[in-house]
Amino acid sequence: MPETRGGRPIAASQRPTGGDKAIATGKKQYFRRKKVCRFCVEKIDDINYKDVKLLTNFISERGKITPRRISGVCTPHQKRLAEAIKQARNIALLPFASAV
Amino acid sequence: MRTYEELFIVRPDATEEEVDPVIEQLKGVITNDGGTVDKAEKWGTRKLAYRVAKFAEGQYILLQFAAQPGTVRELERRLRVNDLVVKYLTVRTDEKLKRIEKRRKQREKRAARKPPKPETPAISTPVLPTEPATPVPGSPVEAEQK
Repeated sequence: MPETRGGRPIAASQRPTGGDKAIATGKKQYFRRKKVCRFCVEKIDDINYKDVKLLTNFISERGKITPRRISGVCTPHQKRLAEAIKQARNIALLPFASAV
Repeated sequence: MRTYEELFIVRPDATEEEVDPVIEQLKGVITNDGGTVDKAEKWGTRKLAYRVAKFAEGQYILLQFAAQPGTVRELERRLRVNDLVVKYLTVRTDEKLKRIEKRRKQREKRAARKPPKPETPAISTPVLPTEPATPVPGSPVEAEQK
């Protein structure tokens, strides 16, 4: 039972027992795909609160910050991203909550 | 001397003649205390994500400067007192810039040290507006030279 992957606990959504794809195909399919951190791959160093276009990729329709397990961002980048989104919200570049 | 970034929103109905003296005054506050203004730019009128002081739009003005900590307090006080300014945000940027510079130097050193290795052109670094033009190890240029 792969409780850990690379020494880290896996999120519930990524464990092999879950996932409709595994059940649908009937095979014992482990993890759909390996999610990589977009910032690590593209080597983006500066996650700025001013750059609304980049930040809108990581908020939901309601304006909520997408969790790390969905977006696939690594922890340090997620932290900086969240901080940038909160700063952008404070200066009215992003909404706190938008109607859906 | 710390570097700061000040982004503030001015009422949309304020004219150039009203806004420019405000910016000059703020620049004066910074330079009086021995700071330096790096950049002052106006973004123009933008739609706000939510209503601020009953306005749906606002003029954004960005100010980048280096100053002592005490100067920032005075600057914010001026912004708070001013009737034209509806919202402001001060961010300290020196640590962040230091970190980015460090990463950039690390990447350059790594790129210079290793011989350019053949890399599949499948993953190419897209050009993003925020990323400065730094050489990336294993960039498509080296793949073309193969």
